[in-house]
Amino acid sequence: MSMISMRNVSKWYGPQFQVLKDCSVEVEKGEVIVVCGPSGSGKSTLIKTVNALETIQNGEIVVDGVTVNASKTNLPKLRARVGMVFQHFELFPHLSIIQNLCLGQEKVLGRGHDEAVAKAEALLKRVGLSAHAQKFPGQLSGGQQQRVAIARALVMDPVCMLFDEPTSALDPEMITEVLDVMVELAREGMTMMVVTHEMGFARKVAHRVVFMDQGEIVEDALKEDFFGTPRSERARNFLSKILSH
Amino acid sequence: MFSDFDFGVILRSLPYLFKEGMTFTLTLTAVATVGGVILGTLIAMIRLSSLPVLPKIAAGYVNVMRALPLVLVIFLFYFLMPYIGQWALRADQPIQVGALSSTIITFTLFEAAYFSEIMRAGIQSIPRGQVAAGYAIGLTYRQVMSYVVLPQAFRNMLPVIFTQTIVLFQDTSLVYVLSITDFLGAASKIAQRDGRLAEMYLFAAAVYFLISFTASMLVKRLQRRLAVAR
Ligand SMILES: Nc1ncnc2c1ncn2[C@@H]1O[C@H](COP(=O)(O)OP(=O)(O)OP(=O)(O)O)[C@@H](O)[C@H]1O
Ligand SMILES: [Mg+2]
Repeated sequence: MSMISMRNVSKWYGPQFQVLKDCSVEVEKGEVIVVCGPSGSGKSTLIKTVNALETIQNGEIVVDGVTVNASKTNLPKLRARVGMVFQHFELFPHLSIIQNLCLGQEKVLGRGHDEAVAKAEALLKRVGLSAHAQKFPGQLSGGQQQRVAIARALVMDPVCMLFDEPTSALDPEMITEVLDVMVELAREGMTMMVVTHEMGFARKVAHRVVFMDQGEIVEDALKEDFFGTPRSERARNFLSKILSH
Repeated sequence: MFSDFDFGVILRSLPYLFKEGMTFTLTLTAVATVGGVILGTLIAMIRLSSLPVLPKIAAGYVNVMRALPLVLVIFLFYFLMPYIGQWALRADQPIQVGALSSTIITFTLFEAAYFSEIMRAGIQSIPRGQVAAGYAIGLTYRQVMSYVVLPQAFRNMLPVIFTQTIVLFQDTSLVYVLSITDFLGAASKIAQRDGRLAEMYLFAAAVYFLISFTASMLVKRLQRRLAVAR
């Protein structure tokens, strides 16, 4: 059984505009999927439907055996098991780094404060930011904030991780430090769905690449095939554009 | 005109002015601020919710309150509250509501309308991404509000809230219409009794100015500090 299974997912904004058109993707446990495509193609929307930050009108999404779009599903409980990392970090600016990492553990998982702090410290160490535990997000660089955001997702012991362009708001010199953490995570066997245009990352750790355009999944191919011989014209155009940078 | 100024009258009445008058003024200001912010936050949350009907009622309440002069509301509530109490408690007779309780309730309800607008702006200023991040770690709507949105909204709006409190501090003097002894009321009583109008009113003006002006300066400083923290 797949870790993430999306079957014939469709979504409309208003009566006219269909942002997702009959999208189907399967992500196996331990698999890393890179989602790419032009701006406005629906990548963010697609990935946000996985933890129901966006609702869908048609189709079915199952995460680790739980049907996301069933009305009886306990969404907070489901979301706690799915880590998410945003383009603009979205750390809570009024809380210190350690508090950012403890909030979900204590309020959602019901962990005691000491246990939560210990877990938070372990993950801060892992992303190389132990020295910054007492600082506030505004005092950290973008790359550091994004690494904290990854740690904030990992303290919840997620079964899979979603990334929505985690490096596209970063200065170039900070991209590597974030990608390094993600590569390590992928190599440890984390199931990951990553929206990114970092093709270096895709080549290094992705198993499959999904290419979207205008709300459709145009291509869903093994990494080797995607970079070797993309079948669709649209994917070829897209690749030649971003690789020429 | 200053030649026959009697500063002694001010000195002699200081204990009365501050112990009676200023204590009430500050208490009313504090209670109406705290009560108004809490109630106002609730109103703001209702207005921003997708509940049926309630947002419209809340909006109506805010619009009515903001369209009426405070003195009028003080009078209206003073005369109507006994009957509202009777209706609410299903009592046989109008409920006795003293001028004091009536004032405190009125100011709290009136200020809630203004604070709700402030808190609404504060809540709306929090980026949607923050809410999404809260949901993404598994928080419920209530938890996202309590731990993510409201603390930030409150912090961002703190200077505006305090500025409104300074206005409120001055507006509390309107309680004179119900013959309640606030700071101005106390000064006024002494002024009439001893025929020292100029002394007492000038002194009262100086005190209001000093407190309001100092408070405004502190708010400005707070504003600068918050701007840096962000
Ligand atoms: N709340 C909304 N209401 C209406 N349209 C929306 C809304 N959110 C997004 N859209 C539209 O849906 C389309 C897909 O948006 P989405 O953010 O998923 O694209 P994307 O592939 O992530 O783009 P980008 O690379 O710019 O992040 C866009 O055309 C966008 O304008
Ligand atoms: Mg996007």
